[in-house]
Parts: sequence; structure tokens; C-alpha cells
Amino acid sequence: MLAFLRRNQIFFSSCFCLLLSLYILTAAARGQIKNEPVGTLLMWILRPLQIAGQGSANWIKGFRNHYDTLAGFRSENERLRKRLQTLEIERQRLLEAEATNRHLQQLLDFRSELPSGAITATIIASSASSWFQSCVISKGSADGVRKGMAVVTPLGVVGKVVAVTGRTAKVLLLTDPNSGIDVLVQRTRSRGIVSGSLESGTVLKYIKRSEDVQEGDRLVTSGLDSGFPKGLLVGTVIKVRKQNRGLFQSVEVWPAVQSARVEEVLVVGAQPDVAKK
Amino acid sequence: MKLFLLFFLAAIFLIVLQTTFFHLLPMGPVVPDLILVLCVYLGLYHPSVGAAFGAFLLGYSIDIVSSPILGFNAFAMSLVYLAVYLCARSIWLHHPIVSSVVVLLAALVKGATMVLIWAIFLSVDGFWAGAARYVMWEALFAALLAPLVFALLRRGQHLVDRFTPVTP
Repeated sequence: MLAFLRRNQIFFSSCFCLLLSLYILTAAARGQIKNEPVGTLLMWILRPLQIAGQGSANWIKGFRNHYDTLAGFRSENERLRKRLQTLEIERQRLLEAEATNRHLQQLLDFRSELPSGAITATIIASSASSWFQSCVISKGSADGVRKGMAVVTPLGVVGKVVAVTGRTAKVLLLTDPNSGIDVLVQRTRSRGIVSGSLESGTVLKYIKRSEDVQEGDRLVTSGLDSGFPKGLLVGTVIKVRKQNRGLFQSVEVWPAVQSARVEEVLVVGAQPDVAKK
Repeated sequence: MKLFLLFFLAAIFLIVLQTTFFHLLPMGPVVPDLILVLCVYLGLYHPSVGAAFGAFLLGYSIDIVSSPILGFNAFAMSLVYLAVYLCARSIWLHHPIVSSVVVLLAALVKGATMVLIWAIFLSVDGFWAGAARYVMWEALFAALLAPLVFALLRRGQHLVDRFTPVTP
């Protein structure tokens, strides 16, 4: 018996891992996993690396944009091109500084409109899997971030905090199929749920066929969803399709915030009514 | 111990790569799954109890960083490891091109597992068409990058072997 177990120890170890994963999966789905030390340790290790990695990635992105900008000047002579390149790098740096300044000013202005205690955070990593649209931000429970808090920018809603460690937090983006935000059509006050979809981008669900929804309609948070202040812009309707059957119409939405382009965000807690956007 | 350290560092490096630099690639939400390639490498070349737990931890790490519910990727990776290990035990799979095919198949196994778990635990509209697209793209990218990752891991292993003193 012992020899049999020893001969197949890898097989049994893998089976044990499978069972353990299933146990974790079931416990997590029921919300029974609260404090998770391995995750906290891993995020503690990853945080500085991800900050450095994201910094480098942003630098490469900036460099690529800079290269694209320069592509039009190829025909000019070498001296002028070099000089232009130097000036362009300097200009790029100043533009970047100005844009950051403007962006931070917007964040500050927006923050004053939000409930007190809004936390400013930086996105330090994106999703490691194609299956989930999430990101990691640089603030965690030590900074006051809690599970369920809303993550926003002056342009609109980004997502919701789904897990928190000491110095980081995981945000489920609006574009993830598992997300869901209660919204109002600003023009008609019809209610629905905005969620991501693997098939067709972001969609507005549960809008009855009889409701008046048109392309270009703006969707704002209803305030009924815990975490999100009322009136924040979520997205704009880009396509409405009424099928011959079914109770609801199919509505596609262009999110107000393109998460790939966001660098700084605000994390806000549950408040009954706030925003003016 | 040195080998463990090598794979630990490789895993950390690949996670950072997947969560930061790969998002610069113009591939939309699809991220090349190099962690899966590492898992297949463990299954092919390191049939051990430690590697089985390593595969589990690789998946669990992705869960920590990305998924809303823990255990998704841990289950998928453990299954991939087991499948690759069982296949490698009965068929010779160590040629670089064959390894690439193994990664492609492993990615499909992982995709199918994710679809299954997703369908059970998370109910999502318009799921199947989107899922099929993700599975195919992920599998293709992983298979394309597999020879490079395998070569780098093998090189790292040679370096570790070179600096390990031979016991009489």
C-alpha cells in the first residue's frame, strides 16, 4: 500500500491540489475567505515590482508615442532631426508634466465634490488573465480602502474594490462580465444594470422593451448600488437593438472611462448622495 | 533549493510581465499566458510533488492578482500539470515543436476548465462566443511563445546546475 502511494505520489499530490482548489473555490464563492495570508504575502512581494514594472511600461508607452510623433520628420536632415528630437523629448516631458498636473488638479477638484475621505491611488498592475478585467491599485486597508468601495475618476466610474491587502487593493473593472452597477438613463430615468460582457463589450441589461433608450443617452449611477455615489457618469449608449422576442432590449454602452488609459483613481466609500456630474 | 528559487523568481517575473508589459501589446484584453507555459514546463521536465504544488501555487498567484474569486486558476493549473505529467509519462514529448503543441493543448485544456468552472460559479450572459475567442487566442499565443520560454528556463537551469557543487 505504502509502495503504491509512493509510486504514484505525484498523481496523488496533484489530486490533492485539485481538491484543495475546489475547496478554496467553493469557500471563496460563499464569501467564507476573509483574511488570506498567502495573498497578502504575495502582494507584498509583487507590489514594488509591479510599481517598477508599470513605471517602465508607462515609459515605453511614452517612448512609443514619442517615436510615433517623430515619424513624420524622417525626411529632414540629420542635424535638424537631432535638434528636433532633443526639443521633442523636452517638450514631451513638459507636456507630460503639464498633463499630470492638470489631471491631478482635476482629481483634487473632483475629490472636493465627493464624500470626505476619498482616497487617491495609482494603478500599479492590470489583469494577468484574459478572463477577468481587473487591476491593482497602490492603496490598501492601511490607507482606509475597504472591500466594496467604488473606484472613480473625474470622467466617471472605473470599478469596485473586490479584495484588499495591507498596501494594495484589487479592483474589478466595470468592463468585467462579473461586474454590475445600478444605473439610470439620465434623460428618461429608466433603471438598468451596466456590466461587462465577453461577447460585446459593455452592456446595459434589464431595460424593458417599452423603455425609451436612444443612442447617445448618458448613463449615471443610481445611488442604489452600495459604494457608488449617485450621479456619476458610467457610460454612453452606442447601440440599441430591440429583438422580436424577449422582455428586454439589447443595449451596448461605451464606458465613460477607458481603464487602459487611467493612471490615477479615487476610491470612495458608500455615501447616500453626492456627486454633481 | 536553487531550482526552487529559479522557478520562484521566474514565476514572479512572469506575473509582473503579464500584469504590466503585456498590456502594451495591441491584443485587446487577451494576455499571453506565460504562467501556463511555466506550468507545462514543470509538468514535462519536473515530475515531482514539489512541482505539483508549484503548479497549484502558480494558479493561485494569478487568482490573487486577477480573479474575483480565488481558486479558478489554481484548479485549472493543477489540472494542466496533472494532464501534462500523465501524458509525458506515457508519450515522449520533449522535442521543442512537440512541446509547443503540448502547450497549445494544455492551453485548450485550461480554457475548457475555465469555461466549465465559470459556467458553474459565475453566470454570465453572452458567455460562450466570447469564451471560445479567448481560449483560441490564449492557446495560440502560449504555443507561439512556448519555445522561447522553454529555452530561457532550460538555460536558467543549466546555470543553476553549473553553480551547484557535485556531491561525491
